[in-house]
Amino acid sequence: MYFILVITLVIHLTVLDHIRIFGSKPDLMLIPVIFFGLFLGRGIGLEAGFAAGLAKDLFAIDFFGINASIFALIGYLAGVLGAMLSRESKKTQSLLAILFTIMSMILHFILVSVFLNRINVNFGEYLASSIIPTAVYTAILSIPIFAKLQDLFNIRSSEEYF
Amino acid sequence: MSKQKNVVLKLLIVAAFLVLLIANSSTIISPIRTKLIDVMSIPLKTLHGLCEISGRIIPFSSLKEENKILRARIDLLNRQLEESKMLTAENQRLKDILGFKNAAAYSTIPAEVIGRDPSNWSNSLIIDKGALQGIKQNKAVISMRGLVGRVLELGRYSGKILLITDPNSKVSSVIQRNRQGGILVGRPDGKCKMIYIALDSDVTRGDRVITAGFGSVFPRGILIGEVEDVGKDPGLLYKYAIVRPSQDMTKLEEVLCIK
Repeated sequence: MYFILVITLVIHLTVLDHIRIFGSKPDLMLIPVIFFGLFLGRGIGLEAGFAAGLAKDLFAIDFFGINASIFALIGYLAGVLGAMLSRESKKTQSLLAILFTIMSMILHFILVSVFLNRINVNFGEYLASSIIPTAVYTAILSIPIFAKLQDLFNIRSSEEYF
Repeated sequence: MSKQKNVVLKLLIVAAFLVLLIANSSTIISPIRTKLIDVMSIPLKTLHGLCEISGRIIPFSSLKEENKILRARIDLLNRQLEESKMLTAENQRLKDILGFKNAAAYSTIPAEVIGRDPSNWSNSLIIDKGALQGIKQNKAVISMRGLVGRVLELGRYSGKILLITDPNSKVSSVIQRNRQGGILVGRPDGKCKMIYIALDSDVTRGDRVITAGFGSVFPRGILIGEVEDVGKDPGLLYKYAIVRPSQDMTKLEEVLCIK
């Protein structure tokens, strides 16, 4: 688990900025966090989320702890939903990737607004220019990454095609 | 039951830890972050080098055509350079006649970009030079195309640059054509927004935006970018302009840190 998170962090730090579309880059670190929560349970999801968020916090210039807390929550929620939904379905996985990306970015905006008295971006602009493109981009990338991770962890998929 | 307790305990530990960290963010975390990035700067530099080498493997068939275009461009630039030299000399003569003082020149330290911000909210870069190489905190960082940002966190061997496209960045700026002032703030989509522009100003698409030089961080007259769109938020007494930075921050490989 930690090896996958480190590889994802390295990709984030080095090459991800070169593949921006409409100014947005996918939230690659969120995909393994959702995967670990869905397939390995809420405890592992929480742990993976916390570790991934903490790594992001160390290299970003955000308020320290924001990414760790949001990712830990998402890992935990993915674990809770994984017990209720058909987690092997590619449709479910992509929808969860969209949902959790939107949730993480909205929570991020709310937390930054709480810690800063004034922020220079209004929510409408942030939603249109950043949240939606990032969520769609992350969901598209999540399909092959989930498939690869399922192979790696010997988890069978219920659908061959999306 | 014990499994559930374990999860609740984990949640509580995580929450307590985070409250502590967020509360002490600036005092505890900043030195830890800079030390960690100092340590990580060597593997990051190696990885960056590997990425660069792989990017250079390009199809050779296009090189001949590219060479032809570049030669034509060199001829054009040489002509422009000659014109520019004449204009500089003329400008200096006129300044001497009017008794103008020259703007303070600044010297720079070149640095290589070895890492980028993993967050979708903030926009920053990690460079391979730090305090030991003479980089100073809160000093402007530029590229050959224009303003990049300022040094935010500084380690001994590395530094973190807050880009002008970061939502926390603020730069006092002016429109070059009509000297209309405003504050330039970053947006998460990689562009900037110039706010507090007077309602009666004639800012138009294509206008160049430069630094105003107020304060001690950014020297005056550095190109920031071009106005892409002009608008007005309802209920506000100011206009705003969306500015596309002249330097594409995603393609930045080297920067110049002002001493």
